[in-house]
Amino acid sequence: MRLGLPLLVALVTMVAGAAELRIGNGGEPLTLDPHRYNLNLEEKILADLFEGLTAHDAEGHIVPGAAESWTTSVDGLTWTFRLRKDARWSDGEPVTAADFVFSFRRLLDPATAASLAYFLYAIEGAADVNAGRTPAEALAVRALDPHVLEIRLAAPFPFFAERLIYPTGYPVPAHVVQKLGDDWVKAGNMVTNGAFVLAEWQPQGFVRARKNPRFRDAANVRLDAVAYYPTADRSAAYNRYRSGELDIIGDFPPGEIAWLEREMPEHVHISPLLSIMYLVFNVAEPPFDDARVRRALSLAIDRQLITGRVLESGEVPSHSFVPPMVENYTSEVAPRTVDTEAARALLAEAGYGDENPLRITLRYIAGADSKKVQVAIAAMWSAIGVETALHHAELNAHFAELRQGNFQVAQAGWFGENNPEHYLELLMSTTGDVNYGRFANADVDALMAKAKQTAALEARLALLRQAEAAALEIDPVVPLYAVTIRSLVNPRITGWRTNARNTHPARYLDIQR
Amino acid sequence: MSRYLLRRLAFAIVTLLAVVTVTFFLVRLAPGGPFDGERRLPPDVEANLRAAYDLDQPVVVQYGRYLARLARGDLGPSFRQKDFSVNELIAMGLPISVGIGLAALSLALLLGVAGGTFAGLSRDGPRDRMLVLGATLGLALPPIVVAPVLVLVFAVTLGWFPAGGYATAKHFVLPAVTLALPYAAAFMRLTRGSVAEVLQRPHVVTARAKGLGPLRLVTRHVLPSALMPVVSFLGPAAAALLAGSMVIEEVFSLPGLGRYFVQGALNRDYTLVTGAVIVYAALVLAFNLLVDLGYARLDPRIRHA
Repeated sequence: MRLGLPLLVALVTMVAGAAELRIGNGGEPLTLDPHRYNLNLEEKILADLFEGLTAHDAEGHIVPGAAESWTTSVDGLTWTFRLRKDARWSDGEPVTAADFVFSFRRLLDPATAASLAYFLYAIEGAADVNAGRTPAEALAVRALDPHVLEIRLAAPFPFFAERLIYPTGYPVPAHVVQKLGDDWVKAGNMVTNGAFVLAEWQPQGFVRARKNPRFRDAANVRLDAVAYYPTADRSAAYNRYRSGELDIIGDFPPGEIAWLEREMPEHVHISPLLSIMYLVFNVAEPPFDDARVRRALSLAIDRQLITGRVLESGEVPSHSFVPPMVENYTSEVAPRTVDTEAARALLAEAGYGDENPLRITLRYIAGADSKKVQVAIAAMWSAIGVETALHHAELNAHFAELRQGNFQVAQAGWFGENNPEHYLELLMSTTGDVNYGRFANADVDALMAKAKQTAALEARLALLRQAEAAALEIDPVVPLYAVTIRSLVNPRITGWRTNARNTHPARYLDIQR
Repeated sequence: MSRYLLRRLAFAIVTLLAVVTVTFFLVRLAPGGPFDGERRLPPDVEANLRAAYDLDQPVVVQYGRYLARLARGDLGPSFRQKDFSVNELIAMGLPISVGIGLAALSLALLLGVAGGTFAGLSRDGPRDRMLVLGATLGLALPPIVVAPVLVLVFAVTLGWFPAGGYATAKHFVLPAVTLALPYAAAFMRLTRGSVAEVLQRPHVVTARAKGLGPLRLVTRHVLPSALMPVVSFLGPAAAALLAGSMVIEEVFSLPGLGRYFVQGALNRDYTLVTGAVIVYAALVLAFNLLVDLGYARLDPRIRHA
């Protein structure tokens, strides 16, 4: 039976003309172990294979997943999740609270070496377990009965349901992982609780998943299979889309937009992503330890020009460090509208002028789009007498330099969550090296710390607004815009809903036959 | 002969060891590390990762452990493709690279020898001029230019072949053609030159004077001697084809060894890059050894040198 069923499914789908969705996924997954993952493109595959306590619907809203409901204590510290009684692993075993306890402990076990373990440091005891200071049993995650899971947090965190969306919060099947060890993740061994189950993985070739008939909502899953192709090269992916080998690609060369919108408009989906692109100043070193210099450079930048004339693909300009599409948040930051007179005056005050021009190096990520933007910014700065040298490096090297504080001013970006804290945390002095500019301000730190101890959402958001306004008043960063996602989706695909999270679970998609 | 073989083998092993050593240290000199991703790592987490891959040890210790594993034929775990060992990755990628390489080599030989023979037989005639022009173009246009043109014409516009990926034999056609073209041109020029030269030799002149038909003349008397330089070029060509497949595999999204190498280098996957270099180096050494042995068989002077 174990072997018979997949074989039967394979035969039936072959005869019936299987509905296989072919997605250009932007790159090769480095692991399909949800606790060891690191990349956004892995999240997309894992979200189809697994279901966490909470999940995304087709529009990117947070909805119940493996938990059918949950409650939060008044102090915001204790979260109690009721698991679905009908949930099964793909091998037929029930999904239980014990699986979740096992999984959270495994994620935080130092031996797992999970690079994103800190996503769940909000759980009481998590950081100590992950550092090896306390045993895994000290983690405040308990099974109250086979279908009730209790999680205690170290501090109130109203955005915890969203934090559980990531694969770091997914359950892994304890009975399989304990038996097979690291081999549990190989095709043929891998047992999952999501709408699809791993069928085949040819590294650098494709990952193929087939429908999981034991998924709790399998009746509403229409696709028979999904194949994810590691389309690292944007142009190659575009060619493969054009020749009909891919049904969806998440990016295409910007030079093709005009042609595509004229010739095949029903394929093109351009929408803003929950993200912020910004410039960061290294405030630890001259000249950017001087707030007047930072303000001057900020006042010279014309965001409308960058988004409207340089990029021209629907990017949303932002004066706030929190992306404009984050829900429930209205920034109180004073906009920096272009004022070259004031900028020159500030520079003069700081001791720079025609005789002694400010000379700086702007670092950016290699790539055509980002180069255009940085060249434009250098031109805007030259209008106030600043001489800018441009220096680019590929993505990983760029951020490695930034983390080491090895820059003057640099392009950076942050994306992900639908809450302001996720972005504003970057401006806390305790954040570590992703506070690339080493910004440290006692008032901002105090406001952020107070917000993080506040359970009531409204009060918390108000403190975050104050913290942001206080920080941006002294210009540690220059928020620029929210980037756009350019997708091509074959019109035969139904169920695709544009959303700022850019999440499109395959269980909601179908192919018209 | 066996002493010669032993000496060459020993030399190959020393070369391989040097390649391993240089690669091992060189990849670690590149800026960035295997765990620099799009997301930050807190110090505790990074310490866990570094310990899991021996990176918390001094480099000399890492090198020693690597050599010890290598001696057992184990290329180690991939630093980045966490679910696979380097051995597993190479076992999956190498057959694909060798497949394309063989297809390209056969195609290059077929086109090159046929074209070169025709050109050599009518040297300086219009047919020859056309073929030489074609060969010059084939040599001058790098695959990185030819590949997108072929994709645009045969995949995007005509839809005859897939633009990339790997599933059926059809997926191999465009990559093999792209890879074959420069070598077809090289083989053609070699064949053309030596066919023209052999045509002047006394035994061919005699055979022709005796009234032998053109087909028999070419197959019996011209080609056997004219193909010698082509055969001797096969070794270096095979090695170069293998290395050239890196570009092709990237452009056509083929999951071969070359793609692992390029992606591994970009991602600072130390073990995967080192493993791929070792395999490439071993193959090149093997080809060179085979060619040298071939020479030694043909020319006794080399055996005793």
